[in-house]
Amino acid sequence: MSTPFSSPGSRDVNRRTFLAWTGGIGAAVLASACSAPESTSGSSNKKVATSSKDVDTIAWDYPFTFLPVYAGVARFAKERAKEKGVSLEQTNDNGKPDVQAANLDTLIGKKVPAIVSFPMVFEAIEAQAAKALSAGIIWVTYGGTLKNQSASITFSFEEGGRQLGEDAAAWAKENLGGKGKVAFLVDDTIQLGRERTAGMIDAFTKAAPDMKVVGREQAIDPDTALTKTKAILAKHPDVNVILGITDGAAFGGYKALVESGRAEDDAKTYVGGQDGDLGSLELIKKGTFYRASAALQLRDIGNAVIDVPLAVADGKSDAEASTDVPIALVKKGDALLDEIISQYG
Amino acid sequence: MNASVSPRRLARYPLIPVVVAMAVGFEVATGSFVGSQNLLGIATDSATLAIVAIPSALLVISGYLDLSVGSTYALGAVAAGWLASEHGGSLLTCVLLSLLAGLAVGAVNGFLCCVVGLSPFIVTLGTLTAVRGLAQQFAPLPLTGFGDSFAWLGGAKVAGLPSPVAIALIVVLVAGVVLALTPVGRHIYAIGVSREAAYLSGVRVRTVPFALFLATGACAALAGAIKASVLGAVQSGTAGTGFELAVLTAVLVGGVALTGGSGTLFGVVLGVAFLGILQNGLTLVGVPTFWQQVAQGLALVVAAGLAYLAPRLEALAAVRPQPTRRATPEPAAT
Repeated sequence: MSTPFSSPGSRDVNRRTFLAWTGGIGAAVLASACSAPESTSGSSNKKVATSSKDVDTIAWDYPFTFLPVYAGVARFAKERAKEKGVSLEQTNDNGKPDVQAANLDTLIGKKVPAIVSFPMVFEAIEAQAAKALSAGIIWVTYGGTLKNQSASITFSFEEGGRQLGEDAAAWAKENLGGKGKVAFLVDDTIQLGRERTAGMIDAFTKAAPDMKVVGREQAIDPDTALTKTKAILAKHPDVNVILGITDGAAFGGYKALVESGRAEDDAKTYVGGQDGDLGSLELIKKGTFYRASAALQLRDIGNAVIDVPLAVADGKSDAEASTDVPIALVKKGDALLDEIISQYG
Repeated sequence: MNASVSPRRLARYPLIPVVVAMAVGFEVATGSFVGSQNLLGIATDSATLAIVAIPSALLVISGYLDLSVGSTYALGAVAAGWLASEHGGSLLTCVLLSLLAGLAVGAVNGFLCCVVGLSPFIVTLGTLTAVRGLAQQFAPLPLTGFGDSFAWLGGAKVAGLPSPVAIALIVVLVAGVVLALTPVGRHIYAIGVSREAAYLSGVRVRTVPFALFLATGACAALAGAIKASVLGAVQSGTAGTGFELAVLTAVLVGGVALTGGSGTLFGVVLGVAFLGILQNGLTLVGVPTFWQQVAQGLALVVAAGLAYLAPRLEALAAVRPQPTRRATPEPAAT
């Protein structure tokens, strides 16, 4: 039993305490970095797959597990894996490139038959993709393409942003005469965020050049977006358009507008986001001023996570096996809106 | 105003002139900082931070710390949001479930740190990760559609104040009474100054910090529930991410020593205000994202420097000779 004096809550910050604490951080980071991916399969396949029958496990490395869209895609990927009789392993990269690299090394060392990876930094993963291929592992790049790959699952983030920007600009021309105020909730920190941001802002400002840009703030989640939008509204209470890099961000912007007294169906307001989150889609369906979302097709992407590596195992080439899942802008009244809402179950 | 007291008070709370200077600067730069709507917005946004920073400060004063508050916040939000959206739970039951979730996390932290004697840094770093996983496991998809009853928690007005601000004031008031007017308050400082001496003086050196872990967990979960109500949605993966750093920053910038034994709640409230004003002001001014980060980092270093200087300035002010009162000449006796 410990004595009351054995607690490290000791008062004196000395060198030893400092070293213990920094050591603690290091150990935690190391433990996190070295954590093995979650496995649903007890076996590992050491031989090179020559047909889909040789692929008993597919490792899906998705770094943004904290995003709501992940759970939706994962659900369909798991269902498809079960249908095809393969195990699905998933990593937990915590949105950190170094953790992703460590997890991929573990998967390659383990010689899983197939890896589907969404690189946080595409250039940084090129070497690991080459290593995986040389080890006979099927490598499918998710969300883009690499030089070293067996195939890819792509959906243009820039295109999703562009669709949203163009739609908002068209709405602004029709309802505001092309004159009003716009604020962007963006992400400048990772590649997919920069692509979406560029597509969204370029398309909007090009199509509606007379709209005054009154804010460009970093926000990907509702909480941050709520705070940032409130500040923007303090200076510009008459903002007409808010476009979000994610639906989470746009949702926060929507809440800030409603909190400031804007009617939920205000005819002079447009909020739009990207991803196709359930809460945002429901607001669109309800007929609020949350008017559009560049939505990912959860089922199609989830199915592709399983189908593409199996197609490669069956001898399909990169061009034959690769798939591009379109991002669709959904608005009130669209049949696709109900379809995607139903995909959330 | 008593001129002889003012310099010492300013020396004790160096953030006061900083906060005032920031407010003046942002008002001059934007012309829209000192508007009632903006100030109320800052107060509402900062309320959840204050609700968690106050019990966290007491914990740090007693020589411990809790890094798991960001995930506990998410778990509290998920618990309340789940009950509200999936089962139409009433406001009371949602809040109770959220508090229970927070108390459970606090109990685990408290047991491992205060009873077993493990390092609070390592233990709460572990629960930070584990509890986030639990929250995501319980609610992998966003929770929405909470209903009107639960919306009261974050959207109502209490005595003219937004409910989050009113709740934060209650937390500050209760903590202030405990710290200043009860023996427990003195015990918190005593344990923070010297655990050994406190033990030998009969202070319950395990029970008091354990109770503070419980309070911190409960308040973190409550803050999560409040924010879920404000937003009308919960994303378990992003709710409260980095919140633990904001809480710790507010506590430390507010003048609470990480080594324990010293600090005031007023200082912590100033720390919360400092962060809220800085965030709001930089957005108002339209500072680009990465420059905002640079500015926030520099402001924190300046605030930390002032916190370092504060005790020295206060000591200097204390030893400065007081102006002697000039004796009024007695009227000459005739």
